[in-house]
Amino acid sequence: MVDRPLDEPELVERARRGDVRAWETIVRRYQGIAFRTAYVLSGNAADAEEAAQDGFVKAYRALGRFRRGSPLRPWLLRIVANEARNRRRSAARRERLALRAAVEARPGDAVPSPEAALLDRESQEQLLAAVEHLSDDHHDAVACRYFLQLSEEETATALGVRRGTVKSRLARALERLREELS
Amino acid sequence: MSELERRLLALEIDVPEAPDLAAAVLARVEGRPFPWRRTVVLAIALLAVAIAAAFAVPQARTSILRFFHLGGAAVERVETLPPAVERSGLGRPTSLAGARRAVGLPLALPPLDRKPARAYVLDDAVATVLLRAHGQPVLLSEFRSTDEAYLKKLVGGSTIVEPLRVRGEPGLWIEGAPHTLTYVDRSGRFRERTILIRGNVLLWLHGPLTLRLEGMLTKAQAFRLAGQIR
Repeated sequence: MVDRPLDEPELVERARRGDVRAWETIVRRYQGIAFRTAYVLSGNAADAEEAAQDGFVKAYRALGRFRRGSPLRPWLLRIVANEARNRRRSAARRERLALRAAVEARPGDAVPSPEAALLDRESQEQLLAAVEHLSDDHHDAVACRYFLQLSEEETATALGVRRGTVKSRLARALERLREELS
Repeated sequence: MSELERRLLALEIDVPEAPDLAAAVLARVEGRPFPWRRTVVLAIALLAVAIAAAFAVPQARTSILRFFHLGGAAVERVETLPPAVERSGLGRPTSLAGARRAVGLPLALPPLDRKPARAYVLDDAVATVLLRAHGQPVLLSEFRSTDEAYLKKLVGGSTIVEPLRVRGEPGLWIEGAPHTLTYVDRSGRFRERTILIRGNVLLWLHGPLTLRLEGMLTKAQAFRLAGQIR
């Protein structure tokens, strides 16, 4: 008989009963998105690592309060996001995110001229700088929805607000960005 | 979707590579009772403390039954452990070189196929790295040996404290029931935060350092690992 990998509800049930190996599997599955979430909210790699690590420890200890049948990922991200925002508040700063240079052209893409590539890069930097000027609430909604590409529902859970609040924060954030970029 | 939303989705943020968090998380949750069993135990403990407080004669501190001093650490056996919190972190994450700079001392390590990519520094006084030995996560903490204790451990009556020697240097093996830990930072400030430690601990002197292994290793396993650390 071949052992099948355990699905998520089984892993959660085992972890609730104190099986740390089951929790290890969950940590490995979600550590990437947890770290990215903490990083885009704080902008600082050391804070992001601490926030993600503390988030997984706190989530394990809070498993008794996790509602069976609910999706685990947004619940975990909410705990990690809270940790990251607490660190940001105590440090009284949000460090600026940096853009990654686009190094590979996709097959079939026209090769941009050096001037066009520079203009494109400048406009991306202006857009990111404008996002970094947003208030914390608007920044966090934009970061979760667009940088992490979470759904509106997941963004709402991760930020601990209603879906309607996410919609209105995003609408206001986009308005501010248009004003700043015009 | 608007053009602005498309541009936001297309932004490529430079996120550093995600560290492997599993070993550090496991080291912090391993050996802990299940969350609700701990809650019940905590509730009973709190009730016991409340009852004791209601009948207690005020006392400045619990009597010390026995005292051990080793390099930068002191271990006191007391009648009653003080209230303690679960450990909330290992300190600020940094590189091995960063940890060496922060504590101002070279760090000793066992021979490893791959050196730990990360170390943790607590108040520029205690450097900790996470190792794996005998299939389990083990914390190796290092701090300067002085006449004054950087770390103070309080142990209750059911904890074993056994003096021994590691490669000829004095050491202590602490095994059994949970014990507590308080520490002094590099500037000499005494940190009142008392942390509950649930694993077994081997403490020993190593040149200018006091080393500390913490995990669920047996005495023989910890002793073998300590003997390899240079």
